[in-house]
Amino acid sequence: MILLEPHNLIIQTTLFDKIAKPSSLDSQFVDFDGVRFHLSTPERKTLIQLSMNIRCWDELVKYGAMDVLQREYGPSIKAQTEADYHISLDIDLEQIPVDEEARDALIKSMSMLKRNALAAPFERAFRQQKELESSGQAQSELMQIHYRDEEAIYIQASPDRVTVIFSTVFREETDSIFGKLFLPAFVEARRNPSLQNAPHVLYTNRDPPLEIRDVPGLRHVEDIGYVTFILFPRHFANASASSSTISNIQLFRDYLHYHIKCTKAYMHSRMRIRVAEFQKVLNRAKTEAATTERKTVTGRTMATR
Amino acid sequence: MSNSLRPYLAAVRSTLTAALTLEDFSSQVVERHNKPEVEARGSKEVLLNPLTISRNENERVLIESSVNSIRMSIKIKQADEIERILCHKLTRFLMQRAESFIVLRRKPVPGYDISFLITNVHAETMLKHKVVDFIIQFMEEVDREISEMKLSLNARSRTVAESYLAAFAS
Amino acid sequence: MSLLAPIICDNGTGYSKIGFAGNSDPSFVFPTAIATRGSASQPTRAGPPVPSKPGNLASKRGVEDLDFFIGDEALANAKTPGYGVHYPIRHGMIDNWDHMERYWEQTIFKYLRAEPEDHYFLLTEPPLNPPENREQTAEIFFESFNIKGLYIAVQAVLALAASWSSNRVTDRTLTGTVIDSGDGVTHVIPCAEGYVIGSAIKHIPIAGRDISQFVLNLMRERGEMAAVPAEDQLKIAGMVKENYSYTCQDIVKEFRKYDAEPYKYFERYDGEHTVTGRKYSIDIGYERFLAPEIFFNPEIYSSDFLTPLPDIVDDVIQASPIDVRRGLYKNIVLSGGSTMFQHFGQRLKRDLKQLVDRRLEASVVSSGSVQKSSGVEVDVISHKRQRYAVWFGGSLLASLPEFYTSCHTKAQYDEVGPSICRRYQIFGSAT
Repeated sequence: MILLEPHNLIIQTTLFDKIAKPSSLDSQFVDFDGVRFHLSTPERKTLIQLSMNIRCWDELVKYGAMDVLQREYGPSIKAQTEADYHISLDIDLEQIPVDEEARDALIKSMSMLKRNALAAPFERAFRQQKELESSGQAQSELMQIHYRDEEAIYIQASPDRVTVIFSTVFREETDSIFGKLFLPAFVEARRNPSLQNAPHVLYTNRDPPLEIRDVPGLRHVEDIGYVTFILFPRHFANASASSSTISNIQLFRDYLHYHIKCTKAYMHSRMRIRVAEFQKVLNRAKTEAATTERKTVTGRTMATR
Repeated sequence: MSNSLRPYLAAVRSTLTAALTLEDFSSQVVERHNKPEVEARGSKEVLLNPLTISRNENERVLIESSVNSIRMSIKIKQADEIERILCHKLTRFLMQRAESFIVLRRKPVPGYDISFLITNVHAETMLKHKVVDFIIQFMEEVDREISEMKLSLNARSRTVAESYLAAFAS
Repeated sequence: MSLLAPIICDNGTGYSKIGFAGNSDPSFVFPTAIATRGSASQPTRAGPPVPSKPGNLASKRGVEDLDFFIGDEALANAKTPGYGVHYPIRHGMIDNWDHMERYWEQTIFKYLRAEPEDHYFLLTEPPLNPPENREQTAEIFFESFNIKGLYIAVQAVLALAASWSSNRVTDRTLTGTVIDSGDGVTHVIPCAEGYVIGSAIKHIPIAGRDISQFVLNLMRERGEMAAVPAEDQLKIAGMVKENYSYTCQDIVKEFRKYDAEPYKYFERYDGEHTVTGRKYSIDIGYERFLAPEIFFNPEIYSSDFLTPLPDIVDDVIQASPIDVRRGLYKNIVLSGGSTMFQHFGQRLKRDLKQLVDRRLEASVVSSGSVQKSSGVEVDVISHKRQRYAVWFGGSLLASLPEFYTSCHTKAQYDEVGPSICRRYQIFGSAT
């Protein structure tokens, strides 16, 4: 598995099971970036309620998350949101489409709840870019999404592009060194001729890029880095391109951290092999001590552990 | 093998072989104790002068010998931050498994990355030249392993970045 | 950010149970299997391929180790050329650390979709797990995944904690005997105040797999399986075991009951051939009560293991220190899928009680004493969460506020090193 998937597997499998066999349900789980979900059947077994708590909800609503969710889920959105959560959806198992394809599509869309909520600012930026292009104005306001405690996404539309900036902080020393190696690789990779269509990537350490220099509250410390993606109109020319771009770019941080962790796991397996090899070399040095089997009076052998 | 590596390793090998003349030696301080004198440092007369063999400022070996044990510490080459962290990880991983390495010390001597402690018991139960072989091979391979890990890390970071960007280009 | 729920990961020999604390059921239950590139027999000892110069995109060099599947996907890919399926856990203990590390990697990122840096983890280990294994586990979780905090609990202790959910349990004690019967082997494990009494543990080589095989044998002998395609037979036997079996109180009476009114007790099962779609139906009879009977009369199945379960439990408790024996008799907890038979607990309790009472009487007689013992209380606890008892116990403990203080945190690990995980504070005990 190289790329991460945009949908939540727990929602998908649970809904799938429950459609086949409705039963009462109450489970809480998470998604990347501190998103919490709650699946429950508060009224009856065939009415599942899916609630989500997302850290940057207020910011997302400001950038039009409600419109996107309204479009995606429409009537499913409950008027009364469950306490401690930001949005609740109803899934009535009695009204699930019989057609298998439609049913799978519904399950899939439910499992993309987090992705859709987080898509709002991106969609808005793409729209703004089109408007700016036709009106010829400078650039739009800078959208800030503080999706984690220390990290944020900044999105800004210009007449010819949309700029997405991720601030990255590594909590651990090894991670931060690996990160410093991985992040410039994104810039390098762009030079590969087969990736000419990919977005431009810039990476700066410590100093924030020009676009967000005036944002208050930025910390100027050594361990902070900024990754800028410049999306061109071709990345969101049509609906399918823009939706795949959004799914992809949202998971940038998780993708990066996933691979840093995989790399460390790989290093561990290399080192295990190396240890086994050194062990062999050292064992060659051992002289064969004559080990005679020692027995007790009753004839039982003494096992050395 | 580069030009300066060969004489460096040859020097380490002969010094180590010479230093590995150990004999059983009971503690002079505590009755019926037998401690590695290089660690215990109980009395001066059983310790020999420590010896440093340097290849350059970043790579050196310290050999401390005594009547019944020798302690050998290696400083591994670390050119940049990445090599430093990889070296740290590798040595820690090895020392975590010191139990099975018999001659490996669980902690390095300050200023060095990894240390070995060979006592007279080791010298008696193991073939001396093979132990020396092990340490020399260890020195060679640690360097190689670190540079290989660094290479694979670079290759990986590139592949990871390319796969991510390729998802946009499609 | 509000604290995210701890992740409970119970990796067993056969199945892994994975989910979040506070829930009553694990989010995922799938086989502890990993399908990797390369032959299934023995991974190449030559070491991982050394990546050459960074190549073009097509060859994806340097990330071959990400090409693997776990769980059900691994089994589905078993036939794919180039892949081999491995089981990283053997007899409850981790056997292949490389595979296990990657197994966890995908569990976290693909299935749970959790950022490990934000979560506490509760892992389980079998009784008598060497402390080195704990250290290696800690090394993986803290160094590869940078998790926030870790607690490694003994499975038997978690099973005891799970029994707190039963309404018959009034005091939350961690003293008791755990009968853990999964797919491969059955353990009888005595625990005192949260510590496993290692010297008294006993294993029984009869578990879920054997029961299915026994049911299959019975049905073949009666000729019921003739209509069932060969590849489905074991599955049908497993289904009979899970859905139709129960524990009887007396075999002879049960046989008579069936013979007197076969129509009342025989069940009929209608199946369909998976390939041809041909319908068939089979009768399910004596195996309904004979299946769990192999725990109580093992001679009906096995010729080399002949000690009934109640005797084993009695032996285990008698081998434990005398001051905890009462507690062990009073709190016998069932865990694992193979203890799910109806009335299993009652039968075990009755048989064990008889054994204990007989011994008390014998001692009264042989001592010639006039004083009479007040008797020993024997109780077997069955509860609703028995199937995933270990996981559920973990979920229960990890949702207590004191869980966080019992964990070792990343900072502590960095300070002390892996050896910190040799010791964990037992829940509910004074530090």
